[in-house]
Amino acid sequence: MSKSVAANPSKQGFNRKKLISKFISYFFLLLLTCITIVPFIWTVSISLKGQNDVIFSIPPQFIPNTFTLENFITVWNTLPIPRYLLNTVFLTFFGVVLPLIFCSFAAYPLARMKFKGMNLIFILIIATMMIPNEVTMIPVYLVIDKLGLMGTYTGIIITGAITPLGIFLMRQGFKEIPREIEESAVIDGANVWQIFWKLMFPMVKPMLGVLAILCFISSWNNFLWPLLILDDPNKYPITLGLYQLQGAFSANTRLIAAGALIALIPVIVVFIAFQRYFIEAAYSSSVKG
Amino acid sequence: MYKARHAWGFLAIPLLLLLLFTFIPSIAAFVLSFTNYNVFTPIEFLGLENYLKAFQDSDFKKAMFNTIYYWLLVTPALVVLPILVAILVNQKLRGIKVFRLIYYFPVLVSVVITAILWKWMFAKEGIVNYFLSWFGIEPTGWLMDTSTVMIALAFVTIWQGFGYYMLFYLAALQGVPKDLYEASELDGANFWKKHLYVTVPMIKPMIFFVAVISTMGAFKEFTLMLTMTDGGPLKASTTVVLLVFKEAFTNLDMGYASAISFILFVIILIITLINQKLLDNPNT
Repeated sequence: MSKSVAANPSKQGFNRKKLISKFISYFFLLLLTCITIVPFIWTVSISLKGQNDVIFSIPPQFIPNTFTLENFITVWNTLPIPRYLLNTVFLTFFGVVLPLIFCSFAAYPLARMKFKGMNLIFILIIATMMIPNEVTMIPVYLVIDKLGLMGTYTGIIITGAITPLGIFLMRQGFKEIPREIEESAVIDGANVWQIFWKLMFPMVKPMLGVLAILCFISSWNNFLWPLLILDDPNKYPITLGLYQLQGAFSANTRLIAAGALIALIPVIVVFIAFQRYFIEAAYSSSVKG
Repeated sequence: MYKARHAWGFLAIPLLLLLLFTFIPSIAAFVLSFTNYNVFTPIEFLGLENYLKAFQDSDFKKAMFNTIYYWLLVTPALVVLPILVAILVNQKLRGIKVFRLIYYFPVLVSVVITAILWKWMFAKEGIVNYFLSWFGIEPTGWLMDTSTVMIALAFVTIWQGFGYYMLFYLAALQGVPKDLYEASELDGANFWKKHLYVTVPMIKPMIFFVAVISTMGAFKEFTLMLTMTDGGPLKASTTVVLLVFKEAFTNLDMGYASAISFILFVIILIITLINQKLLDNPNT
């Protein structure tokens, strides 16, 4: 390679051009990276600062004078952060598992069975996908109230237990399975329930993965419904907990920073572990505007 | 091999849930908007009164203005900037996948944490003011000033959303035939010309799509305002949905709030229909 470059001046010019373009590309890539991560770095910096470090100053001080993990320890021991995390894990577990099951239940007959009314139901589901959640927010709140679910986790979990988007996605998944597979199972004497659980459900795993990611993000970050439904601070998930702490302890920026980072860690871990699904999930979620 | 009872067996629980939390609320949202429902007093039919009230309500007008202003700040940026980022990360460079993941990550961050992070960034002695001081710009309290609060919120939205739209453009870019670029390079086109005359026409459908999605997102936004500024100062960052939220859950005027949210729904529906028309038209 280098030999031919030396022998061919025009090629050398081409390579230099390429090098410059590479340099410019990396310049912008790094610039954007800085803009993207600066708020996080700043938060890490605040969370590691001791009581004698200034938080806000111009120019800002990114490297603390006294490194300390004290803030994390204090947050963990004195604020109800572990409790909030546990609540969030609980809510997220049901916020992922229930939609996977119920959306599949709804999608399976809509994708594989032809009966009177199936089309109508599907059209209704698609039509409601056009209605933003913000518009139905008030009636959903009233339904939860009428069912006597105010202040309960059931109230939060049940609003997310099935979504038109989830049904739509799972229907796509079930549609792709070839007919012959069910037919051969019927010949083997399997009943419909067995066909669903043992045969069809495992075959839509990729779509289940996508839906699981979407539900994980929305459940872990769910803030609006806990805010509207819960009144007992012991039941708060981490988002609502931080929101309230931030109001109450606004003086203690360091602790809030540590708490915010603790809340972020699970998201980062899941993101890195399942990055491929996240990209897929992003495309799928756009179906609902 | 399937019988109708199988289908309905599977559909029973999902339909019950949909009925309670999707179908009934969709109709109820409309019905409530014609009433004075406020939790305490008996419900009364008001006809179009709520709608007439909305068009005379200065808070509603202000919220509408704020929402449109926010949309104008956010959507053009979210349509154009991610194209450039997608072109940047569509190159074969070492570590490019890591950059894509980094840019996408803010999408996953909860609005509460985003609000906390950016309140500090926009503080009087925060990073944003420090950065601007390099260019000789005087520090301001971004979130305290009625004239700058929306700009700050729009910036946060762009920060959080550009990686999401980047992914869509990236998918579109990967469908552009490479020989088109080679041909334009042979014609001596520079970077800007190449992308203006090749990339933009080729990814036009995606540009429309992003414009529509980000427009809807802008018209529906309110949790960012709720957590960062609570709609203030002086309601300068109260969007339409935040007004709905406050009328419904602070003032408990659910009938009026429903009317406002229904007006919003009509606006969003019109945007969707315009989009459908544009997408169906082969000339666009």
